[in-house]
Amino acid sequence: MSTPTTFWRIAGMSYTQYVTRAATAVRNGLKEPAKTKALQHETFSYNAASWEAGKIGPKKQVNKLTNAGISV
Amino acid sequence: TDQKFFTMMQNTILRRAAAPLLRRTFSSAPEAAASGMTLNFSLPSETIYAGAKVSQVIVPGAAGEYGVTADHVPVVAQLQAGVLQIMHEGSNEAEKYFVAGGFSITHPNSVTDISCPEAVKIDDIDSAAVSSAFEAAKSAFAAAEAGSADQALAQIDMEVNKAMGSAVGLSL
Repeated sequence: MSTPTTFWRIAGMSYTQYVTRAATAVRNGLKEPAKTKALQHETFSYNAASWEAGKIGPKKQVNKLTNAGISV
Repeated sequence: TDQKFFTMMQNTILRRAAAPLLRRTFSSAPEAAASGMTLNFSLPSETIYAGAKVSQVIVPGAAGEYGVTADHVPVVAQLQAGVLQIMHEGSNEAEKYFVAGGFSITHPNSVTDISCPEAVKIDDIDSAAVSSAFEAAKSAFAAAEAGSADQALAQIDMEVNKAMGSAVGLSL
């Protein structure tokens, strides 16, 4: 499987990125009560905490990994 | 008559030699009909069917749409955005879901596992939203550089919205 054959592989996407984009497109095409409920399926957040001397510090909610100092 | 007898002997020997092979390929039809097929259909957010006995499932495979009934040959198929139809036992109407993609695996024991990132009821699809999203994706596709990530994203949006449109009767 060394030569990419699908358009999304050629553009550098993974299957997961491709299928989650397709799922987002489906959710955005829904009527209102179903749409809000479906869009909740794709929200996510991260908790970031620093370790010092073997102990975990306070957890802080971050909405982007870069805000926690992790380079993506 | 010697020739005829010899041919008869040959045929008998061949038939007897072939009999074990023939017995293996003969499927027991009453058993197949009684066992039926089992469907496991799940999304990350919920399990829609677990161990459900259904009579047929029509799967939108990426290489083409196909139907699965009891004793179907084992298949692993990537799904494309399209309509998944579930025919319940004793019903003529199919229960339809529009799936965004995923995989369908049919096992030798007539269990089919279908796993999708999102599946929605056709009635929940908004035709106006789908048409405008398709048009927006089409312009984005034309405006993007060939082979770029933006063009790939626009192409995904176009293909999914086109499939959603055809599920609700629009031809985009």
